Parts: sequence; structure tokens; C-alpha cells
Amino acid sequence: MLRLRIGFVLIAIVLSFFGARLVQLQGVDPQAYALRAAAEGAARVTLVAERGDILDRNGVPLADSIKGKMVVADPALTADRAPEIARLLSDRLSVDYFRTLTALRGRQEGSRYEYVARRVPSTLASDTLAEIDAAGFSGISLQDDPIRDYPAGDVAANLLGYMGTDEPLGGFERTFDEQLAGVDGEATWQSTSGKGVRIPLRESTLKAAQNGAPLRTTIDRDLQWFTQKVLAETVQQYRAASGSAIVMDTRTGEILALADVPTFDANEPSEADEEDLGSRAMNDTYEPGSVQKVLTAASLIDAGRASARQRFKVPGSLPRQDRVIGDWFDHGNIRLTLAGIIAKSSNIGTVLAADAFSPVELVSYLQRFGLGQRTDIGVRGETAGILTAGEAMTSQTKDRVAFGQSLSVNVAQMAAAVNTIANGGVLVSPSIISGSAVTDDGTTVGTDVATRTRVVSKQAARATAKMMEKVVDPEDGVAPAAQVPGYLVAGKTGTAQRVNPDTGLYDGSTSVSFGGFAPADDARFTVYVVIHAPKGDAGGGSTAGPVFSRIMGYVLGRYGVEPTGGKPSRLPVEW
Amino acid sequence: MSSPVPQPRTRVTRIAQEAVDKARLSVVPRVRTRAPRVPFVTLVSLVLVGGIVGLLLFNTSMQQASFTAAALETQADTLAGREQTLRMELDELRDPQRVAMQAQQMGMVIPPAPVFLDLETGKTSGVRTPATKDDAIQLVPPAPPMPAVLAPAPTVVEVPPAAAAPEPVVEEQAQATERRKKNRDR
Repeated sequence: MLRLRIGFVLIAIVLSFFGARLVQLQGVDPQAYALRAAAEGAARVTLVAERGDILDRNGVPLADSIKGKMVVADPALTADRAPEIARLLSDRLSVDYFRTLTALRGRQEGSRYEYVARRVPSTLASDTLAEIDAAGFSGISLQDDPIRDYPAGDVAANLLGYMGTDEPLGGFERTFDEQLAGVDGEATWQSTSGKGVRIPLRESTLKAAQNGAPLRTTIDRDLQWFTQKVLAETVQQYRAASGSAIVMDTRTGEILALADVPTFDANEPSEADEEDLGSRAMNDTYEPGSVQKVLTAASLIDAGRASARQRFKVPGSLPRQDRVIGDWFDHGNIRLTLAGIIAKSSNIGTVLAADAFSPVELVSYLQRFGLGQRTDIGVRGETAGILTAGEAMTSQTKDRVAFGQSLSVNVAQMAAAVNTIANGGVLVSPSIISGSAVTDDGTTVGTDVATRTRVVSKQAARATAKMMEKVVDPEDGVAPAAQVPGYLVAGKTGTAQRVNPDTGLYDGSTSVSFGGFAPADDARFTVYVVIHAPKGDAGGGSTAGPVFSRIMGYVLGRYGVEPTGGKPSRLPVEW
Repeated sequence: MSSPVPQPRTRVTRIAQEAVDKARLSVVPRVRTRAPRVPFVTLVSLVLVGGIVGLLLFNTSMQQASFTAAALETQADTLAGREQTLRMELDELRDPQRVAMQAQQMGMVIPPAPVFLDLETGKTSGVRTPATKDDAIQLVPPAPPMPAVLAPAPTVVEVPPAAAAPEPVVEEQAQATERRKKNRDR
């Protein structure tokens, strides 16, 4: 009996110890122990979502994401052998030796996490890590860090934008970030080592990453490249400040190329001039100059106030109120038809023709052509341009607006307006996103939401196109250099004075432009080129015309558009 | 119990007696038959050992699978990374700029206007314009002009008519040209 009692007492003592420990664990501070238990061998990994590609119209990536790694050091483990590790890392990863050394020793006391290199291609990173392991060093690890690559460098860079260290900083990258970014996932598991080996049957969770959706644009990469090169060559040749060119599919309004010069390499945005990072074509306004005359003429014909053969007596100068309107070429009294006024780009003739319109009538037509309103194609910071309301417009301003001054536009607006003539009088709203996408300010853009509005009658558009054919006529026109051999081309030159943004006054420099379409009798493409502040002897026909011709020739061949074999316009220019 | 017919009673009693004698229970000696324990114990131990070993093997194989999974995952990662790197290289090879550079080096140019050849009739449409070297586009922007500090004007030394001094002048000019050439190459 005694032995039994002693046994019970002993057991009771032991059990009471257990009980006390139980109370301590469960009652006093259960959370801390649970956390410690979970932390012991727990691995938590962020599954980085892959950023969606930006594609051209054929699915060729303009921007794509590649698996990359960041190399991370734990100074507590690397500090002792920092110089050796740093030498190996700087050799392999082409990073600065001294910065690496600082990182390996810890930039702050007690630091356990230091970046050594970011956005290292994953193959290189894992090879380097294997080498480090083989050399017996520890404390270096890799984490996912995707790389954004722009395979064609500067092609469409002004539209695509670029990425900062962690966030998009401009262009489509930023506008459509929500769609492109995707959602990071997370995985947790219990692990015995840092090598991703999971303990089976232990708690593990997996929330898969949702990769970003690709953004398909209407850009044609090769055409965009060609447009940029041809434009850059001319901008350089004329030592111009900048230039823009746009290629638009006449029937759908899809923008096949939208080039800006100077541009930048999207892979190295920090090396570029900050002013070159945006899209000048969309963000800057300028006066369109004489290209605008075709809109005035088409409106007049549509309203039945003029016809292509209508005769005008054009004097050498035209006093209007306190100002005198002149032409770019000296002439006495000449007799021009409306076609001749367009072909020779006479300001005076245009003003005389536009006298049939009140300011309100002219402005309402121009508004229907899309001037003064943003195109909302999805390019950041687009300007609406300036078009004074008809009621507030003086007759003097109206005269100038008729031939393209005292109003300002952006490149897509002007191209869409010229395209209306090409498209038989129907304005197709331009688009640069294929399908549809939502911008960061909530606007849905893309070909799915493109609209079509009739602005002028088919006959008016046709008659205007016939007049525009005369512009590239070697005898009657001012821009024979814009011809494309074998094709009927319709176009219009423009030379406008530039307003200095600081003073608000004309600074003596010009913007020369050429807008047109081909084949003139069954238009497929509209090309519009503008070159700002060229030096030397530059004009819409001689400077922008050849650029137009090269781009148009290339795009017609690229899309297999055969010459229509139509008869050239035989409108009289004089009488 | 009394019966009006006594005779047959004696017989009945005798038979009953016999039956009673026969039916009397007596204590049978206790026979303890034990079921053999060994098979059962063996079975249970076998099941136990089998279970434990099975569990162990299962666990080991799961652990093994986990290692394999980790290794395969790493491999998949590496391969995916390699694939993407290769695709990036491919995209860079497809870069229109690179293709154009090579094509232009081989003497190809982009024609100013297309001409179409109908394969059935053999007829062409479009105006046949010869593609010449002038149609080549400038693929690399020219190097910006050097600032005067870095590219000073060549020093021109007046050569005395009968002296043996021309050597250094020529050399200096050659150097200047050389330097300018280098600038252009950049």
C-alpha cells in the first residue's frame, strides 16, 4: 500500500508540473508561442505576377516581361567575407565593386537585408548563385524581380512609356497599369531549409499570382520603325527642333504608326532628355497652317457655298480691317479656281472663298471635323487644341482660321480630320488600342469604341480629294515631292508660324507639314507629317512632302495596296 | 398423483426412474483449452510493424517527393528563365533596326514605291522605279559635332619655302583627320 501511495504522489507531482506548463503556454501568452512555432521553418514567398506584354497589331511584343531576380545579401552572414564575395558578384553581374562591398557589410548596423543587384536575368542570377554556393559562401539569396524589356529600343517608346524601379512612369505603361500589372500571389509552407523543400502534410497555402493581361495596340512595329527613321533623317537634315508623323488606316481609323522625333530608348529612359519622354504629337499643340484649307474647302462645298471649279479673282494682297493678308508667293491679280487656291495654297483665295461662311458656320464644321476636342485615344496628357467658339470669333480671326492660323491642333486630331476627306466625308475616331482598354482615369478607349460620324457629304469629300490631287501635280501644285510613283496621291502642304510658349507670340520659326492619303480615288492610308522649327529653306512640300512620300510608298507596299489605275484629277486651277 | 389404475403405474415409475437417472447432471472435470496465442500475437505485431514501416516508408517517400518537387520546381524555374532569355534574344534579333542594318550592309534598300507582279499573267502594276543607294535610309544618327574644346581646329603652320619643316605639319593634320574620323565612328 505504501508503495502505491508513493507512486501516486510522484505521478501527481509530475502531472502538476505538466499542468502548470499548460497554463503557462495556453493561458499566459498563447499568441507569441504560436507565432514562434509558425515562424520556425516557415517560408513565405511572394509570387510575383508577370506584367502583361504590350503588343503591336501583329502580336509582336513592343514591351515584354522577363523573369528576373534581385540578388539580396544578409550582411550578418556575408560581412566577414565581403571582399571575396563582392569580387565574385561584381565580376559576374557587372555591378560596382565598392557598392557591393558596402551592401555586403550592411549599410546600417544590424541590417539583415541588402540589395546587391536588381533585375538580373534569372539565368545569370542562378548561375552566379550556384558559383557562390560552390565557393562556400553563404548569405546571398535570390528573389523574383521581373525585368521589363523593350526589344526594339526606341520604337514607339514615346507611346509605350517606361518603368521606374518599381512603378510605371509614363505612357501606356502607366495609363493601362491596372490591366498590365496583374496581382501578386503568395505561398507559405513549412520548410527545413531555405531551398524550397516543403515538409509534407504541414500547413501550406498557395494563392496563385494573376498575371497582367496583354495590351494590344494598333501599331505596326516595322512601319513605326520606318516612320521614325525617315522622320528622324529629315529632322536631322533640317536641324529641326522636333517632328511627328502619323499613319492611319483610312477606313478603320486605326493608327498604324505615331512617331515622335527626338525619341528615346525605352530601356534607358534615364539617359534621355526629359522633354523627349512624352508624346509631342499628342501633348503639344501647334497651328496647322494650310493643311487646314482642305477642311475649309470641304465644308464650303458641303454647304453648297462653293465648288471645285468656282472662279476667284485673287489679288496680290488683301486688306482686312487693320491687317493685310498676303500669300507665300508674290503675285499680282491672278485668276484661280477653288482647286487652284488649294493647289497653290493661296491664303487670300481661301479667305475670299470662306467669306461665304459666318464664323459660327465655319467653327461648327471644324468642330465636327474633331478640332478643339481631344481624340481620347489613350495617350497621356493629350491636348485638346484651341478652337475659339464661333460666337466669340471675330471676322478677322475667322479669316485666319480659314487658312489654318489662330487655331491649334494636335497631330492625331489633324490626321483624323484629313482622314475624313479620305474616308468619303465620314469621320472615324482614331484609335491606337486594339479592342478596348480602360485608362487610369476610367475612360474606355480602343477600336471597340471607335465612332463614325458623317461630317461632309461624299460628293464634297470626293471633290476636295480631287482638288488635293492637284497639290502634288508637278505643274500646278506646290508639292510634287510628295508623289508616290504609280499612285494617285491627294494631299496638302502646310507652313505655319510657331508660337513661342513663353511669350505667346510668333517667334519667327515655322512648322511645316504635309497631310494626305493614297490611293486618292480609293483611299487606304492617311499619312500626316509635321516638322517643327526646321532651319534653312524648308517648306511643307519640300521638307515634309518627301517624308510623306517615303512613308506612304512603304505602307502601300507593306499592305499590298495596288495602284488603282484611276485617272488623275483634271480640275482646272486657273481660268 | 394417485391413480385409479395402479398396475401400469409401477412400470411407469421404473421408466421415470431410469430417465431421471439418465438426466442427472454431474460435474464434469474442467478441461482448460487455451487458444494458441502465438498466431494472434504474430498477426497483431505484424500489422503493427507493417503499419509503422508502411507509414515510415510513406513518409519517406513523401519527403522524397517533396525534395524531387523542389528540385523540379527549381529546374522548371531555371528553364522558364532560360526560355524567356532566349525569347528576349530572339526578339532582339528581330529588331527592325538590326535587320535593316544587316540588309543595308548587304546592299539592300527599301524602295520608294512598290511594284506588283501578278504571278498568273506575269504583268506588273505600278511604276517601276529603280531602287538606288540614295533610297537607303540613315539608320544610325550621325555623331553630334564635337565641342570646340575637344576638337580644336588644326594648327596650320606656315611652311618656310626652303626649310625641311613640312613633316610635323602633315603629321598634325593627319592626326586631326584621324581624330575627326574617330569622332565620327562613335
